Amino acid sequence: MATEPAHAIDVENLTKRYGELLAVDDISFHVRTGEVFAFLGPNGAGKTTTVEIIETIRPPTSGTVRLLGMDVTRRKRDIVPRIGVLPQGFSSFDRITVRETIQYYARLFSRRNTDVDGLIELAHLEDKSREQFKNLSGGLKQRLGIAIALVNDPEVVFLDEPTTGLDPRARREVWDVLLSLKKNGKTVFLTTHYMEEAELLADTVAIISKGKIIAMGSPTALIESNANYLVLTLKTIGEAPFEIIQRMGFEPVRDEHKNIKVRVGHTDDIQKILTAMKDAGESSLGLDVRKPNLEAVFLKLTGEALREGSPEGVPE
Amino acid sequence: MSPRVIGANLAVSLKTFSREKSAMFFTIAFPIILILVFGTIFLNQDNASFDLHVQDLDQTNSSAQLVKALELNGKVKITAVDPAIDPTRYAKDRKVSLVLVIPRGYEKALARRLGLMGGIPNAAFRDPNASVTVTYIYDASASSTSTKTQLLQAGLAVVNQGLSGQPPFIRAVETSILAKKYRFIEFFVPGIIAMSVMTSSLSGAVTMNAELRQKGVIRKLSTTPITRADWILSNILYQFVLAVISTAAILVVSYGVFSVRLQINAWLIVFLVLEVFAFGGIGMILTRVANEAESAAAAANFIMFPMMFLAGSFFPIEMMPAFLQTIARILPLYYVNEGLRASMVSVDNTAALRYAAMIGVFAAAVFVVGTTTTKWEEGK
Repeated sequence: MATEPAHAIDVENLTKRYGELLAVDDISFHVRTGEVFAFLGPNGAGKTTTVEIIETIRPPTSGTVRLLGMDVTRRKRDIVPRIGVLPQGFSSFDRITVRETIQYYARLFSRRNTDVDGLIELAHLEDKSREQFKNLSGGLKQRLGIAIALVNDPEVVFLDEPTTGLDPRARREVWDVLLSLKKNGKTVFLTTHYMEEAELLADTVAIISKGKIIAMGSPTALIESNANYLVLTLKTIGEAPFEIIQRMGFEPVRDEHKNIKVRVGHTDDIQKILTAMKDAGESSLGLDVRKPNLEAVFLKLTGEALREGSPEGVPE
Repeated sequence: MSPRVIGANLAVSLKTFSREKSAMFFTIAFPIILILVFGTIFLNQDNASFDLHVQDLDQTNSSAQLVKALELNGKVKITAVDPAIDPTRYAKDRKVSLVLVIPRGYEKALARRLGLMGGIPNAAFRDPNASVTVTYIYDASASSTSTKTQLLQAGLAVVNQGLSGQPPFIRAVETSILAKKYRFIEFFVPGIIAMSVMTSSLSGAVTMNAELRQKGVIRKLSTTPITRADWILSNILYQFVLAVISTAAILVVSYGVFSVRLQINAWLIVFLVLEVFAFGGIGMILTRVANEAESAAAAANFIMFPMMFLAGSFFPIEMMPAFLQTIARILPLYYVNEGLRASMVSVDNTAALRYAAMIGVFAAAVFVVGTTTTKWEEGK
């Protein structure tokens, strides 16, 4: 009997073309068994194409993809019962209730021992189990989709943009469900364009842009190697503090609230700035120190915002 | 192929159907309404019961006998008009298309013709030229006038002939080309069955394949062990169940309300199965050609509506001009209509077999094309 492979997913030189369009451009990566792996990138970066190739529902143009040690182009029948999928824009039968929908999918997998109540509980849908699908809000539909992705107790779970289009509250509720999933030790392949989502949930993040992986690693490692600085935000009065900081050799900028933002390399620098201001008789009405996030990493690597209207937060 | 998977799909489809009011309406209520409305119209035509308004100014036993004779054994329903009122005004006010006025002196004239004086034969009294003139007051714009006039003429001819004392020379008997006499409603019911099975199969295939694809349900299903064959088979099975449900509803109403006399035999099941495959196949092809659910549904309507009127669902195609009859003969629904009528009305097994073979070949062809073009996995 084969031992469980260390890698749940192995992708080598994967390329996918749609006519002239190169959707996925020669990417290679692997996902370790038991980790949460996030594909982070803007719309159209090639996230869904890649994930659908791994899920066996879309054939690659070239390259090899092995899922649980099996070639995805040849062993669909063996792979499908061992994976769970929440497709992008998940939808189900309008007139079928939450409980009936879960039971339906369990029957498709010919499973008699699916713990329907347990799945309803995991997705926090206890109050909605008799509600028809069409009456569910976007967040509830996604949570049901996650429950359905688990009906066959899969070894690998694919979640394609699980919170896209949800309001912040509904998004946080989906994250709660995903955190319980992570605790259960499932291998999870997540695609998202929300950096908070990747940062909160993922063990490994691959940043994808225009069909290529441009950086990969743990969120902390990615931030340290690409954005190893702190951002100090000061709420001040008058122009003097700005000039003081400028004279010290830093490059302060004003944000949309007229606050001073300055990037510093170390906490000592913050101390120095505050001391210089105090010596000049200036004070700060408010102060905030932040480590940059994956958004900043993405911005630095691609020169583009991850999604339209995303808060930049960090001066370049 | 997994019976468990097919069962799960069938259960979901039937639950959806039972919770979807519009689906219930079009599958069950709509054909029933058609049967009731058209059945009632045809029922009057079949019984050929006509109203005749008669003003008897003579008010004698003889004139009453004439009125009685004009009832033609119940084919004509006589309404008496008060002798005191103006018959023209009466016809206008009541929108009556024909009023017959029997003049005063009818009985006297009759007595002279027959040579009866006070009821006793008297040759001297007899006048072979004695006659009486009845008046028709009619509305030429009413469609039933000419039929009523003809019936009335026939009735009066019988009376005149009776007076001659000679037996009629030409007599007529009727022989139908059908094994038994059938009514228009019996022609109509198989047409409605074929029509409603066509609509539910076509629109069912469109919903299952286009709408669910557009919503992304098919994408989710393609990540589960269900196969394309399971999916298509469950759809066909579901459409067959719907076909049986609507056929049963139509038959219950037809028997219950109109006491139709139809042959229900294995041919009915054969034609239902073939029709489900034929129109389910067309639906699958449509959903493949039209990318969006709305355009697939529109294309389905575009196919269904002309077919309903041209293929002889509501009236025999012999009533249509020759070129339309030619068109009707290339429509698959025509063969279902004719096949069902051959089996249910004229009980002609040879004809039923011929139509079944024709629709069967068509069904096999479109179903094969439909299944091979139905997309399951994402674009290659």
